[in-house]
Amino acid sequence: MAEEEINLPSLVIVLLITGLAVRYFFFSGNASTANRQPGGTGGLSPEELQRRREREREAAVETIQQMFPQVDRRTILWDLQRHGGNLQATTERILAGRTETPPITFQPPPPPTSPETTAAAQQSATATNNKPAEKKAHPDLITRYNLKDKLASVPSEDAGAATSSAPKTGGWSSNREERQSLLQKRRDQMIIEARRKMEAKIAAEKAAAAGNN
Amino acid sequence: MSLNVAQRRLLQEYRSLTNNPPEGITAGPISEDDLLHWECLIQGPEGTPFEGGVFPAELKFPNDYPHMPPSMKFLGDVFHPNVYPSGLVCISILHPPGDDPNHYEKASERWSPIQSVEKILLSVMSMLAEPNDESPANVEAAKMWRERRTEYEDRVKASVRASLGL
Repeated sequence: MAEEEINLPSLVIVLLITGLAVRYFFFSGNASTANRQPGGTGGLSPEELQRRREREREAAVETIQQMFPQVDRRTILWDLQRHGGNLQATTERILAGRTETPPITFQPPPPPTSPETTAAAQQSATATNNKPAEKKAHPDLITRYNLKDKLASVPSEDAGAATSSAPKTGGWSSNREERQSLLQKRRDQMIIEARRKMEAKIAAEKAAAAGNN
Repeated sequence: MSLNVAQRRLLQEYRSLTNNPPEGITAGPISEDDLLHWECLIQGPEGTPFEGGVFPAELKFPNDYPHMPPSMKFLGDVFHPNVYPSGLVCISILHPPGDDPNHYEKASERWSPIQSVEKILLSVMSMLAEPNDESPANVEAAKMWRERRTEYEDRVKASVRASLGL
């Protein structure tokens, strides 16, 4: 009789905990996205937060998969989700062989694009995948930063002199827009300079090769 | 706009990187609306196959920066033993503070709030020059670097030229 009295309440408690756990796991995926980071999200919209979280999660999965290629993505995602996305803890559980088999109901989001397809995409420059912004082919720097006009505007002979004599575009401006444009100018200059140097180097190599023949 | 700790610190780092830019590095937030998202350019170190190249990368800072490190990802093709094919950089300074669970890296090599964006970028620069062969992120690159160095260097040089549109 005494045994029963103990068993009944403990059973209720176990059920309660299970219920809470299920609830927690269920909602940790989406509902808590907005309130996971209560302060300091700045001007980030929920979509941006969601995207950032997705990227972080993908990065974590990728890191783990590099370490343990034998563990499948679904198991990793399940473990990450269950334990609050702690990469280190998941790694330790995999090492200890304590990962659980995810239930059938667990439907992980599809992988963005595998490294192989990314490499292929870089080659073919077809960016029709589900994550085009991040995974599309890498354009060269001139295209990327829209420097074609700037590259064409200054003749390359003067470039070296121009860049070395120009005052170092630096210094902190109190104006926000000015800071932004100064930073962009420094970036552009760095790329154009590199491109010119490389052009000169290739030309020199060609000349040397011609001289040898 | 009131700034939190992370944003204040990043603005301060941005300022010092603008006033005293390290050689071969340009870095700053893509837009000051989001100080947690930076883009930087790193010059390939001289005397390495990366010489002459300029490599764009993005830095993403967590909300609890500088307690936790940012993540860094190259936006172009960087074929290197310590860079994942996705562009993600794997070096000890970008790893969360504390001791390595695998007792692999010293705590002093990992991230701590006394590190900075500048130190990360300088570390990445020296990583380009000297890959760490012990924990490869790109197995193919690591293997080629170890076994067929000339082929590795040629491949990197070719990608540097391609990245400059040549």
